[in-house]
Amino acid sequence: MTEEAILQGCLKNVATAQRELYNRYSPKMLAVCYRFAHNREDAEDMLQEGFIKVFSQMHTFQNKGAFEGWIRRIIVHTCINNLKKNKRFNESLDIVHAHGIQIREESVPSIVQAKQIVECIRILPIGYRTVLNLYAIEGYSHKEIADMLDIEESTSRSQYTRAKQMLEDILVRKKILARPKEKAEWLAAVR
Amino acid sequence: MKESNFHSDEFEELIREKTEQYKMYPSENVWKAVHNALHTRRKWYMGTMAFLVTGILLFSGRELLFPGHSSRKLAASAASGDSFSADATRALQPQENDRSNFVRVRAAGSTAAGRRASSAGTGGMTAEEPDQSYNHLSITISHPVVSQPDLSDLLSHAVQLPGAAPSLIAVAAEMADPAPKTAEADQAGLSDGWSSRNAPANAAAHHAVDGPAARNGFEPLRDDAAIRGVLESLSARGRQSERAGATFRRAHQAQRGAVMADIQDAAGTAKATTEEAGEQSDASRVNWLHDYAVYSLAPNPSRGRWFLQLNLAPTINFRSLSGGSMASSKQGGGPMGTLRPGTGQNWVDQSPGLGVQFGGNVLYRATRNLTLKVGIQFDYSRYKMLAYTTAPQQQQQPSYRTPLGNFIYMDSLFGAQPVSVNGGPMVPNPVQATLYNDYFQLSAPVGFELRVLGNERLQFNIGATIQPSYLLNTNAYVVTADYTSYTKEPSAFRRWNLTGGVEAFLSYQTGSIRWQVGPEFHYQFLSTYNSGPYPISENLRGYGLKIGITKPLP
Repeated sequence: MTEEAILQGCLKNVATAQRELYNRYSPKMLAVCYRFAHNREDAEDMLQEGFIKVFSQMHTFQNKGAFEGWIRRIIVHTCINNLKKNKRFNESLDIVHAHGIQIREESVPSIVQAKQIVECIRILPIGYRTVLNLYAIEGYSHKEIADMLDIEESTSRSQYTRAKQMLEDILVRKKILARPKEKAEWLAAVR
Repeated sequence: MKESNFHSDEFEELIREKTEQYKMYPSENVWKAVHNALHTRRKWYMGTMAFLVTGILLFSGRELLFPGHSSRKLAASAASGDSFSADATRALQPQENDRSNFVRVRAAGSTAAGRRASSAGTGGMTAEEPDQSYNHLSITISHPVVSQPDLSDLLSHAVQLPGAAPSLIAVAAEMADPAPKTAEADQAGLSDGWSSRNAPANAAAHHAVDGPAARNGFEPLRDDAAIRGVLESLSARGRQSERAGATFRRAHQAQRGAVMADIQDAAGTAKATTEEAGEQSDASRVNWLHDYAVYSLAPNPSRGRWFLQLNLAPTINFRSLSGGSMASSKQGGGPMGTLRPGTGQNWVDQSPGLGVQFGGNVLYRATRNLTLKVGIQFDYSRYKMLAYTTAPQQQQQPSYRTPLGNFIYMDSLFGAQPVSVNGGPMVPNPVQATLYNDYFQLSAPVGFELRVLGNERLQFNIGATIQPSYLLNTNAYVVTADYTSYTKEPSAFRRWNLTGGVEAFLSYQTGSIRWQVGPEFHYQFLSTYNSGPYPISENLRGYGLKIGITKPLP
């Protein structure tokens, strides 16, 4: 079934077309949700809510951009809205608070790289993780992130910088990534 | 949106690339929740259907378990004047200013002693026959709904005088009076007034029917010699029913004229209306029914042949697979390697599941031992299959196609992830999963039951049915033609099918209810899937324990 046929079917509320669309995009979108969510169950809740929005707002899609990108934006916004309902998430956006969070590195499974990286992202503090997801992976600007999360743009930048550093450290320690030799030497000299 | 010039270093590229590769497959419940949220109308439809089915079952069950309920409702509806039949209840207005009075007579009791009258409250009077052994005819004289002329006309048609009126001697002998009576004595009894012989029921009836005249001081009809003449004439003329009826009516008209004259003479001011005369005529007919209808109106020959049956059967369901070819990947070849022919029954790991059947049948007892039946049945069947899926980090789009065409791409539980039947080489790091196939079907069984052993109370029966069936859902898993994967393809399913069933059961009669229990087996003759490019056939079969109740239809 072509994407155009799927879109037309979804606009007519045809269940088979909706199912086809869901089958096509739900694996990627669940991975997106999973990076934002606390656990898989929360991720599935976000996915469910997101797809209901996708289908109910299908008529607002104008063939100006990629359909996947449109779905992805809805899913990401759904995730952010869910996170913002959580008090802990709002607190974690406080950069000072985020400094004191301990990372449970032992929870990172030793499997192949893609999943390892995702799991490493997920053990970041939730504020770091969210900004990292939005900026580095989803491609939002710091200004957009600031608007979405109701924070200052500078906060978003600093959160991202720290998140990136923390993630890099984790990946190196887990031997998923090799730190550049010169950088390692520089770090050793500094220390 | 993207600030690539700001941060797109190697590290970020790596993260982005890796996270984009990562896919996760949601559980089926997510789609169900999404689907239910989007298709609320379907939910209403299912809810309404469930409500209707439940209501029908409850109503049928109540009718079977409490059969008196319907007759009470019939009486109630008769009281509102909307029914009339040969066995029916009938309304009659005693008088214009006493509309609440009614007389209810269960007619044609075999004994006069069986007829007893009872009062029905302050405003009404009921003559109810407690003798339940006889129920061929029931006439209720109740609140008026139809006009008197119409009522008289209906009665004159409904109450056909018999071809052969019973001997009055025989009638007298049937009476409850334990003392033997001679014909003369009976005739003499008649001469004392016909209602006096008919015990309180007639007295009550006459009181209500003749009441207006009696209360006004008029002479009632009951002692009139003309009525005796009519009855004797009926007895003498035998089969001349129409003529006898005409004579009866003429005699009544003559008598009515005489009575009217007496009324006018005696009262001076009273008006004899045609309605009153009609009431008297109808009362005579009703009372005649008391005495003779039992002898002349044969019971409905079809009565006792029709039954309603409700049944419920927990079942165990399985399937048979045939056709298709198993890919040689099982022997280590590629996914689309050389195919080999053979049955797929043993190539998949599957096990039975529990289901249920319930429905209702109308049974017709064709002979003493053979009963035909037709009905409607809901069938829920399920079986489960063991499958294997790839560990998430290893998932990839299957790059091959099978003779199933697009099927293998469309798995809905795991998205585009292959769901392997056996965890073959196409599924690295297999993770075991259990899949369930649920089928909801409506069918119309047509068949027979044959009594093999037993008497009327305890029997051993066998039966068979053929069931045209309609598949309500098409979201079950389909195994791919090479027996490597499961997928979902609604268009592959055949909606209409044909199922055969055989059963053996013990039945036991308690009162008017017959209980039955026994094993049953059903088999779907046609494949679940449409014939065509898909080469595999699936035939469902099930074993169940059927429990049923059967009740005669009124």
